[in-house]
Amino acid sequence: MSDLNLRDVRKSFGSFEVIKGVNLDIASREFVVFVGPSGCGKSTLLRMIAGLEDISSGDISIGGKRVNDLDPSKRGIAMVFQSYALYPHLTVRENMGFALRFAGVEKDAITAQVDGVAKTLGLNALMERYPKELSGGQRQRVAIGRAIVRKPEVFLFDEPLSNLDAELRVHMRIELARLHKTLATTVIYVTHDQVEAMTLADKIVVMREGVVAQVGSPLDVYDNPDNMFVAGFIGSPKINFVKGVVDSASKTKLKVTLPSYNNSAFDFPITASALKVGDSVVIGLRPQYFGTGGKQKFNLTVELVEHLGGESFVYAGNGSGELLTIATQSARGIKSGEKFEARFDASKALLFTEAGERVR
Amino acid sequence: MNRRLHRIMIYTMLSIAAFVSVFPFLWLIVGATNISPDILSGKATPGHALFDNFVKLTQQVDLVQLFYNSTKIAVIATALTLVVASLAGYAFEIFRSQLSDRIFASLLAMLSIPFAALMIPLFVIMAKLHLINTHTAVIIPTIASIFIIFYFRQATKSFPAELRDAARVDGLKEWQIFWHIYVPVMRSTYAAATIIIFMANWNAYLWPLIVLQTNEMKTITLAVASLLSAYVPDYGVVMVATTLATLPTLFIFFVLQKQFVQGLLGSVK
Repeated sequence: MSDLNLRDVRKSFGSFEVIKGVNLDIASREFVVFVGPSGCGKSTLLRMIAGLEDISSGDISIGGKRVNDLDPSKRGIAMVFQSYALYPHLTVRENMGFALRFAGVEKDAITAQVDGVAKTLGLNALMERYPKELSGGQRQRVAIGRAIVRKPEVFLFDEPLSNLDAELRVHMRIELARLHKTLATTVIYVTHDQVEAMTLADKIVVMREGVVAQVGSPLDVYDNPDNMFVAGFIGSPKINFVKGVVDSASKTKLKVTLPSYNNSAFDFPITASALKVGDSVVIGLRPQYFGTGGKQKFNLTVELVEHLGGESFVYAGNGSGELLTIATQSARGIKSGEKFEARFDASKALLFTEAGERVR
Repeated sequence: MNRRLHRIMIYTMLSIAAFVSVFPFLWLIVGATNISPDILSGKATPGHALFDNFVKLTQQVDLVQLFYNSTKIAVIATALTLVVASLAGYAFEIFRSQLSDRIFASLLAMLSIPFAALMIPLFVIMAKLHLINTHTAVIIPTIASIFIIFYFRQATKSFPAELRDAARVDGLKEWQIFWHIYVPVMRSTYAAATIIIFMANWNAYLWPLIVLQTNEMKTITLAVASLLSAYVPDYGVVMVATTLATLPTLFIFFVLQKQFVQGLLGSVK
């Protein structure tokens, strides 16, 4: 069993609270990604799980056992660091077998275990080299190998791909996903890269200023964000936010008009809301939701087009100063200054209160 | 043209600096081969008196004993200073707190106290401990060198925090992290510190002069100085003694030269 539970976990540095009461349940063999902007506390939370950072209050348990006061080496975890943290004075073989050596494992057993992992990761030819003689990708693989050799219950990855170039990052991402399937252990992975989060995770934990903003599957978090922060953080290019006003309100339906878009009207089915007529709201429209179909439309003027080959991002406005981002696969002929009709299906729009909470 | 002039200027400056640095050594070696009157008259060419000067030196002092004393003091003091200063520097940087920062600031403030002001209290302490005229008395006050602690503390700033974290995850205790990770990773810092400490101890004059009172206990540096204090010093003999006294530090420097430069530039790349 390698499930992991956090109960009201808090961390303060002096009077400054950086983790403000996190509750989280991670099931055995789950691939969980902590994602959020810099300074949101995701790495601190990972370090707290690892035991590298003391917790101020709350409980952390791994496999049903409370680990608050256990040394990192006794928690059944292994960690891969952003800078790889390979011991520069030791060879690849020595690096990989280091933890076992200090755990008192027999030399022959270490060799067998290290060789087995090296074979899995294709490191056999590099075993007698020193870290400085390896490329970034090879170092990363050695760091992962060092973690695997320990046979942990939970793997912790702290932004492991951020020092690699774009191509290698994609390659390593696929390798990591494959490795997770092979090893079938729990993985907690910290990143600020939402593409990594979306592609690798079974479950995404979006963090903001020391609290969990939302937990869910990647598509759930993308399609059904709880607040404007999550809607804005997940999804590339960033979701468009347009200010609106509640025009009429009933128990099951809200009608919202957009003053900056000729008072275009949107109907939102709701279950419960305290919103009243005249309240300010925000509508979220993902760039990918625009197309040639759909009943609703905005008449815009193109300001800039970015062609990425497969698709293009059109930045267009209606003179109000706000620019909308539209992702489209049929914009090759579009030029700046041209008129552009952005059609969309109003049912896909997301409604938020002015304070940023989702209205459902 | 401008660039060429620039290079000429640089080379001229470097040549002057090199000459100023090397000249005393040349003068020393040339002097060791000449007799005293020739040295005093400013003779700058090698002579034939090297062997005679050496024989005279061995008649005046017990060279083997002097080298043994100097080596014993310098080696033990260097080893102990490296251990104490690197542990202190590591602790001051890794376990930083307001209290440790204040203690460190107080230590730095102590650097400004001249040794002359410490001499008498130190002598009294050593006398009370019955250590006068022992090598222990020479070694003890040098071990907790504030400058070397400062040097290690600064160098520790470049020691990657993630290496310590990785070692903790791998199950190492703090002393094991220090011994198995910090020491090998920071070896160029240790090499540079070794040279600095060894030279300081080998060349130490004032404190050994105060606490070492018999000839059997004295160091080569004290012996060279005592040769000079004769009624009519034989400069040829003094030059031979000085040359011999310089050799060990030169040797250590050449052996550790590469690490010394790296250590001063920052040990972790």
